[in-house]
Amino acid sequence: MPEFSPWHDNSFTHSSPHNEPAPCRRISEDPEFHSLRRAQRRFGVRATVLSVGGFLLYVLLSHSVPGLMNQRLLGNLTLGLALGLGQFVVMGVTAWCYVRHMRTRVDPLARGLGSRLDQHEANSLRSAAHRGESAQTVQPGSRGYRTW
Amino acid sequence: MVTMSAGIVDRFSLNLTFVLFLSVVVVTLFMALLTAPQRDELGEFYLGNRTMSPLRNGLAMCGDYLSAATLLGSTGLVALNGYDGLLYLGGTVVAWMMVLLLIAEPLRRTGKFTLGDTLALRLTRLQRPARLALAVCTLAITTLYLVAQLVGSMALLTQFTGEPSAATRTLCVVVIGTIVIVYAAIGGAPGATVIQIIKAVMLVAGVTVTAVMVLHHYDWNPGALLSAAANHSGTGTQFLEPGLRYGVSTTSKLDFFSLELAIVLGLAALPHVLMRLLAPRKVDVLRSSLVWAVGLVGLVCLAAGILGLGATAIVGRETIAETDHKGDSAVLLLANALGGGILTALLSCLAFVTLLAVAAGLTLAAASSLAHDLYGEVIRKGRASETEELMVARLSAAVIGVLAMMLALVSWGANTATLAFLAFAIAASAILPTIVYTLFWRRFTGQGALLSLWGGLICSVLLVLFSPVVSSTPGSFYPESDFAWFPLQNPGIVSIPAGFLLGWLGTVLGDRQEPQEAAAYEEFEVRMLVGAKE
Repeated sequence: MPEFSPWHDNSFTHSSPHNEPAPCRRISEDPEFHSLRRAQRRFGVRATVLSVGGFLLYVLLSHSVPGLMNQRLLGNLTLGLALGLGQFVVMGVTAWCYVRHMRTRVDPLARGLGSRLDQHEANSLRSAAHRGESAQTVQPGSRGYRTW
Repeated sequence: MVTMSAGIVDRFSLNLTFVLFLSVVVVTLFMALLTAPQRDELGEFYLGNRTMSPLRNGLAMCGDYLSAATLLGSTGLVALNGYDGLLYLGGTVVAWMMVLLLIAEPLRRTGKFTLGDTLALRLTRLQRPARLALAVCTLAITTLYLVAQLVGSMALLTQFTGEPSAATRTLCVVVIGTIVIVYAAIGGAPGATVIQIIKAVMLVAGVTVTAVMVLHHYDWNPGALLSAAANHSGTGTQFLEPGLRYGVSTTSKLDFFSLELAIVLGLAALPHVLMRLLAPRKVDVLRSSLVWAVGLVGLVCLAAGILGLGATAIVGRETIAETDHKGDSAVLLLANALGGGILTALLSCLAFVTLLAVAAGLTLAAASSLAHDLYGEVIRKGRASETEELMVARLSAAVIGVLAMMLALVSWGANTATLAFLAFAIAASAILPTIVYTLFWRRFTGQGALLSLWGGLICSVLLVLFSPVVSSTPGSFYPESDFAWFPLQNPGIVSIPAGFLLGWLGTVLGDRQEPQEAAAYEEFEVRMLVGAKE
């Protein structure tokens, strides 16, 4: 991920609410929020396309070019069977990469934004009560949704 | 066929199976009663214990995810079709990756009890119609899958007693159905979780041990297993090459791809699997649970592949096909050849418990959707008290159980795989587009949700209705009539793109998005990525 420099991850530590007199009006306009969204979504989409698309491609290839898939590698082990076993390896590696990516790239950003969100909410509750009301009107008829 | 079927399992293992099954049921029923929600709390009934360890959660997910179809059906397909059968198992594993990578964490952060809650958090207009549509889709999927499980239990009984009489079938379905209702209605999610975990442990252990026995039989040489399977398949090396079953014509290849598409995308969107994702309170626990589940699902599918190949290698493809043309008896035949009556009894008991556990999970998901979405939000418009909704949830579990029992008795003889595949197709073409758009598409509106839900559901059902499944071939429901203009047995390849397309069309052609809706999505997105305060 070229656009997503690793230094950006730690930037939330420099922008704690104390030395920021006027925090972003909305957290969704925060550049850090955008990089969080990008980090999570881009990896999810790429990894899904790779593992699911790869498997579907393998199924298609099995039936469209059987000659290639039936090439013997070792005894009765054909290329097709080996690729099938390879799916399990790809899956394991993808799961491992996902966990690592989320832990190093996504979680720190989410935690930083989460603590800032708490601060922000506390501020806005103090200063303007009507904004809280307008947020509630978005959700008619859902019991106790905001509290749990 | 009848004499062959009766011959698989002798008197001794029949009795042993019965005793084992009865003891598992008694133990799990007691545990379900002990762990049942004590203070009539709605959250506990729907989600169960929310602070379970990742391993237990992972086991429960694996239990919900892998049905008896994987244990008996997929292994049978491997035994009969070799390579083509192995592709089914691959699809089952890959589908779990969809859950892990795209859906699980955003859904958990924005969800409450059911999928309808996530949808309602996001949509400002047409909330109730969307919930209604979602509840109908959930009900259709769970009922189909539930009927498949119950019909499967009758088919399993065939392995013991030969073609069962009408009275035996009724007794079997009523006993299994009643146990399922007790788990779901009284035990709620905690009860269903208990049986899920017990079943998952039994499944992982049973399948792994049998696979190890198969490998040991061939001196831990997979090459020897493969060549023995090829030799005893009656088709030679063709058994290990694609196309044995689905390579006949372009239509059949297309049909197989359509099925794989429905499996890979549909298994990830089954309502009872998605509801299970909402249970862990902490997101990092959910993540570890999912990784555990990846490992367990992968292990079971790998072992199931070995079992299928081993069944062909040791028992022989002809014997398996003679006993049951769908191949469901492959595992039991293999167990009988490898470990005699005791192993057969253990695996039969495992199959029954698997059926029971998946059926309990399905009943619970259907009951939750009925009580929370349909009764609580659509009929009572959010004014129902918790006690009232809980009562309705318990009642709906019973109603759905009884309904499924009756449908199962009526549809005796139906191909369970067809029912299950239709359920996957509906999940992939109605529920998956809605979830993906809800989570990731800023402009998505209520019209889009309604159109993709109803459209996906109707499209898949209609296509199956006009397919060779229902008419025109000897194996269909009405072999005499011919109104099958859709050539494929599996509608996925058409209905899944249709579901996505309809959701997009409904959003683009519908009313312009109001600022209020954009604000709702903004808030939703913050919640999805950063999380809400607990």
